[in-house]
Amino acid sequence: MLVSCSGGKPAPEKGASATGPVRGGTLIASLRSEPATFNRFAPTAAQAAVDAVARLTQATLVRINRVSGEPEPWLAEKWTVSPDGRTITLTLRDGVQFSDGAPFTSADVLFSFAALYDPDVKSVLASGVMVQHKPLQVSAPDPRTVVVTLPAPFTPGVALLDNLPIYPKHLLEPALRSKTFAAAWGVTTPPASMAGLGPFVISEYVPAQHMTFARNPRYWRKDAAGVPLPYLDRIDMQFVQSQDAEMLRMQSGSLDVMTQADVSPENIASLRRLRDQGSVQLAEPGVGIDPIMLWFNLTPGGAAKLAKTKPYLQRAEFRQAISYAVDRNAMTNTVYLGAAVPVYGPVTPGNRTWYSDAAPKYPFDPARAKALLAGLGLADRNGDGMLEDGAGQPVRFSTLTQTQHIRGRTAAFVQEQLRKAGIVMDVVELDPQSLFGRYAAGDWESICYAFQMSAFDPAMNLDFWLSSGDFHVWNPNQRAPSTPWEKQIDDLMQKQIAAPTLAERHQLFADAQRIFGENLPAIYFVAPKITIAMSRRVGGAVPVLLDPKILWAADGLYVRP
Amino acid sequence: MAEARPSVVAAALKPAAARQRGGALFAMLAAFVIVAPWLAPYNPGRQFDGYPYARPMRPHLVDAQGSWHLPFAYPLRLVDPIERRYEEDRSRRVTFSSDEPWFLLGSDSLGRDVLSRVLSGARLSLGVALVSTLLALSIGAFAGAAAGYGGGWLDAALMRIADVVIVLPAIYLVLALRGALPIHLTDAQVFAALVSVLALAGWPTAARGVRGIVLVEREAEYAEAARALGAGSWRVIVRHLLPATRGFLAVQATVLVPAFVMAEATLSFVALGFAPPAPSWGVMLGDVAAVQVASESPWLLAPAGAIVIAVFVLHSAGSGRDPLLWGRRDT
Amino acid sequence: MLFFLVRRAIAALVLVFVVTSGAVLLAGLSPGDFASQIGRRAEDIAQDRHRLGLDLPASQQYARWLRRAVTFDFGESFQYQQPVSGLVRERAANTALLALCALLVATLLGIPAGVMTGSRRHGLLPRLVRGLSLILLSVPPLIGSLVLVTIAARTGWLPVSGMAGPASFVVPTLALALPIAATLERLQSQSIREALQRPSAMAAASRGIPGARLVWHHAWRQSLGPLLAIYGVIVGSLFSGSFAVEMVTSWPGLGALMRQALMMRDTYLVAGCAAAGAICLAAGVLAADVAHAFADPRARGAAGRG
Repeated sequence: MLVSCSGGKPAPEKGASATGPVRGGTLIASLRSEPATFNRFAPTAAQAAVDAVARLTQATLVRINRVSGEPEPWLAEKWTVSPDGRTITLTLRDGVQFSDGAPFTSADVLFSFAALYDPDVKSVLASGVMVQHKPLQVSAPDPRTVVVTLPAPFTPGVALLDNLPIYPKHLLEPALRSKTFAAAWGVTTPPASMAGLGPFVISEYVPAQHMTFARNPRYWRKDAAGVPLPYLDRIDMQFVQSQDAEMLRMQSGSLDVMTQADVSPENIASLRRLRDQGSVQLAEPGVGIDPIMLWFNLTPGGAAKLAKTKPYLQRAEFRQAISYAVDRNAMTNTVYLGAAVPVYGPVTPGNRTWYSDAAPKYPFDPARAKALLAGLGLADRNGDGMLEDGAGQPVRFSTLTQTQHIRGRTAAFVQEQLRKAGIVMDVVELDPQSLFGRYAAGDWESICYAFQMSAFDPAMNLDFWLSSGDFHVWNPNQRAPSTPWEKQIDDLMQKQIAAPTLAERHQLFADAQRIFGENLPAIYFVAPKITIAMSRRVGGAVPVLLDPKILWAADGLYVRP
Repeated sequence: MAEARPSVVAAALKPAAARQRGGALFAMLAAFVIVAPWLAPYNPGRQFDGYPYARPMRPHLVDAQGSWHLPFAYPLRLVDPIERRYEEDRSRRVTFSSDEPWFLLGSDSLGRDVLSRVLSGARLSLGVALVSTLLALSIGAFAGAAAGYGGGWLDAALMRIADVVIVLPAIYLVLALRGALPIHLTDAQVFAALVSVLALAGWPTAARGVRGIVLVEREAEYAEAARALGAGSWRVIVRHLLPATRGFLAVQATVLVPAFVMAEATLSFVALGFAPPAPSWGVMLGDVAAVQVASESPWLLAPAGAIVIAVFVLHSAGSGRDPLLWGRRDT
Repeated sequence: MLFFLVRRAIAALVLVFVVTSGAVLLAGLSPGDFASQIGRRAEDIAQDRHRLGLDLPASQQYARWLRRAVTFDFGESFQYQQPVSGLVRERAANTALLALCALLVATLLGIPAGVMTGSRRHGLLPRLVRGLSLILLSVPPLIGSLVLVTIAARTGWLPVSGMAGPASFVVPTLALALPIAATLERLQSQSIREALQRPSAMAAASRGIPGARLVWHHAWRQSLGPLLAIYGVIVGSLFSGSFAVEMVTSWPGLGALMRQALMMRDTYLVAGCAAAGAICLAAGVLAADVAHAFADPRARGAAGRG
């Protein structure tokens, strides 16, 4: 529990008198958006801010250790899995209380599951605690035991429970019964009327300015020496509107931790200078796991629209040519100032357990790109340096992306690279909701965007890999796989989630990555190297690649005097 | 003694030469807007590999050995990408025709020449701002004059419309507009759309100001005299009252032009902007909107400097006078 | 006078109503809405849309909102699921506070400076002030606040963000006030120059009235016309300028809320923020018109009619 910064360079500790954790003190953190609600279950709760608040004030039955990727006992002190892998019996810790003193029992677990799947609540969390879109069956034979039955084989079974915070039945059951649960615990709720099992409680909320978390005196965890956690007395969470403002505060010493912790490449240089002065520590937990992707409209509607004019957009060779035509090293040096690594698929080297280096790579090779395009009948027929198709029409397509964001800059870079290869890519910058609206309407040829991954294990991201998934963005919700390779990936993933050993799962997933790389429904370019900054006061931090990158283990944080 | 026509007389007393100079300055500005892209040394969209955030490269005439050449610069080499630190190579020289780039005003985040982008962006950003300002002031002047002169329901109606336009979140109007347009717009189409939106957003301010002036001027004796002589309403407005607003409109122009350049950046956030790689000044400044970036790479603020220069030129054109009055007497 | 005030109050209400209606109507016409998302089941998105009434045609959505609005129920925010008025109130107060301070500073700086440069054409000081005005005018509020924040951060004299104590007012107020002071200076300068060229001013000068009195007592009141006419607009531009300033200095005002609401297409919340802006604009215009009527008798007739 007392792990200091792991990975990357060791942080110089200037003048720290205590080498061990110190109990007491206030940590100043920053949040770039305000939480829309304090209710993690609410339909509008798909926000980094709400998740951060929930991690600080709530607890789950099982916690996935973000460093190892393994589930560890949390509110459940042990569990056993039946031989067929479908039933998990968890034993809850004894003597745990909510922050308001009410005892924690299996009834609260049942209540939380009921709220999760309730059709009137329509919780955003529900899809993360399901197997193949079917809910888990839960029963509680006694106050300290919970039995979870999986609707289908799912090897990482218990890991699903990391997605469900356990809410107090005694406070919220009336709301669930009167169908007002989704609106309960909104931002105007008095802090004293809420309770949780997490290390902190909300003690003050000033809209647009800051919120304060105080130590939960009844928190159940203790450190190895038996000292009750958390070490901190208070976390002062300031609402700061941009990373620029966060940087200013970090430089003036009035900020300890940024909740959305990764720093853009332009800011790394000044942070290194601060580190050399001794006022800031830097951690580099590895390569990010959610790279920017460029994917094409492979839906039946899109195919029909483009069949006459641009049939080449549906061909894998076209996408492979694009992948060969982009110089990823130049992108690394230009857009990310060297703080990135080239990637060719959705799984990056940052995902150490699951990354397969055997997936196809597409190093910069303009000649090969040209050959692939010529194979599709696209060549420079009139000597203007740009490619035309068989009918003499220029090779041209559009991509939607986000304005004033590194995604837009990546698209601009790719645009220039493709222009050198003779392809015209029109970049259309939109605000996110317009982009989503156009996506839903099928009114797009390609999109350049990124999504945040919430887990390393691909079994938790089935919606992306399976052709029937909602997140299978190039062609979502297919009734049956539309291409042979999609079927292959579907089969591999279905086997993978039920395979008993990690080695088997790894092999199956490596095959899936290979097939993905050969057919390239989405093209990936680079993944940034994550840099996390904290003030030198902060100790006990375990920086990781999943959000919230530092506050996920807030109970182990302390501040040096 | 009959009161001479006040402000009109004063305006007429302005030497014709000063007004001509004003016109000439404005023509120069317009000409620059049109010609500027051809002055750019490089294609504004060209990304030089390995030169992100390069600092401006000073021109030299004498090299390290002491011999004279045509203006040249020492090439830069990227030493540390994260620190964005470059090193001059004093043993070689580059000009605009070399393979290696000469960034007179440095380069931006993607290695594009800032000078080329500022010059090429003039036609887009300054063009949009100038045309929108002209339109907004014209519409505003006539609406304000009509409201101030006519009074009554016309005045009330026009001013209420003006108020609504001022406060309505133009963003939503633009979003709705954008939704109705095809997904990809050419630069010319974006130009027309932006000019329309900005002119519609800008006329109320001019209208209110003109109305205020006209309200006062129409009671003046010269106006009554003109009416007594049988001049129709519009003639009175155009020939007698509007010239009184000239000064106010000139100042409005200097206020609106920079505001419109920045408004273009805001509008590009809701998808009504020039698509990449078009070098619009507003978007260039939007990218610099962070203290860290601005203080470490201040050359990226070049478009702001260009706006300031344009405003100074406009001010001189509008007042027919050097704004700083360098050794010149007043009229 | 009372009749005049009542009429203007009614006009203000109408303004607020039209503006909020416009926001709600236009939102229905835009592509994408609050419920749009990638990665959710189409049925779930459709259910959400239905729950929020977003699947109705724009006119019906507007009618629904209208029915609630006439009972002063401005709806709930989609994001926060809280009444809009509660969310807007506190932040609008913060923004209004900042705007008032900025207006005060801008007036105290800009008007005297304009009178000075308009009445004294020569000399180093008027030239400097004129040049400074032009620079401040042409620098957008975003860049201006960046520069001020950088200076404050480098020198460490002033807090650079948040709203905590009087010192934290300085940077945001200056960032907002300086461009407006420059606008006021330019307008006032031009306006007083014209007022000084009027025969009444020349007549007063020929009667031997000294310079300063001439300027301030005679010409200034007459020069206020165009200024006061657009004072209300300046109040409106204070709000839009404040958004950029608030972002850079993390001021807890309406800017962040409105920006977030616009991005997320939280229709009723945007309408609420627009209403707050409309109310302030109406108040500003009213105050300016009343002041104009008092200051310049020639405009009184118009005020009575307006």
